[in-house]
Amino acid sequence: MNWMAKSRPSAAAPAIAPTKPGPSSGAANASLRVRTSNGLKEFLWLMSDVPHARVLDLGPVWQATVNFFLDKGYRISTDDLLGTWKEFVSAEEERLRAAPLTEEGYSARLSVSSLADKFLENALQYTENSFHGVLAWDLLDYFDPAVSARIMDRLFDILHPGGAVLALFHSRAPERFHRYRIIDTQTVELVSASTLAVHARVFQNREILELFAKFRSSKTFVGRDQVREGLFLK
Amino acid sequence: MWRKSNDARPSPQPASRAAEQPVTTAPVKSTAPAAVPIPAPEKPPVAPSAPVFPSPAARSVVTHDTSAPSSLGPGLKIRGELSGSSDLYIDGETEGSITLLDSRVTIGPSGRVQADVEAREIIIEGTVQGNLKARESIRLTSSSKVQGGILTPRMGVDDGAKLRGKVEMTRAGETKGYSAAAKPAAPAAAYKAAVASSESESSKR
Repeated sequence: MNWMAKSRPSAAAPAIAPTKPGPSSGAANASLRVRTSNGLKEFLWLMSDVPHARVLDLGPVWQATVNFFLDKGYRISTDDLLGTWKEFVSAEEERLRAAPLTEEGYSARLSVSSLADKFLENALQYTENSFHGVLAWDLLDYFDPAVSARIMDRLFDILHPGGAVLALFHSRAPERFHRYRIIDTQTVELVSASTLAVHARVFQNREILELFAKFRSSKTFVGRDQVREGLFLK
Repeated sequence: MWRKSNDARPSPQPASRAAEQPVTTAPVKSTAPAAVPIPAPEKPPVAPSAPVFPSPAARSVVTHDTSAPSSLGPGLKIRGELSGSSDLYIDGETEGSITLLDSRVTIGPSGRVQADVEAREIIIEGTVQGNLKARESIRLTSSSKVQGGILTPRMGVDDGAKLRGKVEMTRAGETKGYSAAAKPAAPAAAYKAAVASSESESSKR
């Protein structure tokens, strides 16, 4: 894989490094909880020549992240996929509790696949080739494989040819649930949040590549915190 | 402050039951036809147990504060087009469109709006389904939940705000329509080259 067609940004910093003065402790600075993201740096570099690039952030909306992209002249869309999924599942459970069991099999209506299909009838409803970049963060770790596969299919469709997806994968179940807020071009802040979903699985490398099978190239960065950052090009 | 023409001032008489009602600042029509419009009092409404007005007629005058925002309270629902020049506070339900180009629109915590909103300044504390377009600024508070596009020169987002939609910046005062998400920007030549290069030499693992 040759990602060197463009002039490279300055030499990559260590995968995990404190970006503020202070001690470094593995994945994050103890006081600020930040991590250095070479995947983000590469992600931004890929879009650096696209005027008014469109970015989809699948995490919650943050002032810092919005400002970061708007200052670059990008257009940012946010769609808190995990939050939307949780609301959807709660609503479905509520609906099924109230529905009679005689219409169809209760278990069939609650199957993950059918839930995923129904979820995507309303979620990620963007036109094809809409975005030059998608920030998926570590969300795929929290979805059932059947849901993740459908989400990836949808992301592939809405991604512009040549566009990139940045996804993070934990090598072990994380101790806490975090959301990610961009601080600068290669630093993200880990924001502790109430647990929206239980960590579903640890992806093996082969499973990651299967998940992104439609994408034509990939690049992986492994941090000292054992979080793998994958950059996948459509 | 409470000047009235002599004609409008009735002769002293015993206070009627209606005149015992407390004075209010709610924007409703006055029941005293000869009363001269008066500015809004700076003090809050006074309880009837502590009368300060010398005449019963004065107590029957209802004030109208034109500087206060119009408001739609909880439990109220409006469907249609809202336009005008007054600031607006919505804590009820609204469907349709809201266009207050020179004013501030605030969607309160209980507000539920299914409408495109266009105003000078927009503050969201409740739920909005629709596009937001502001000439000066848009602020999403921590309790806000927005589904729709945002177009503004300045934007504030509190932690906890929920946004499902795109954000675009305009220059202050600029009027511009929403661009279609379906229309992607053309990739630059360098980007194409980078992608082409990576394609030719990359291999899936």
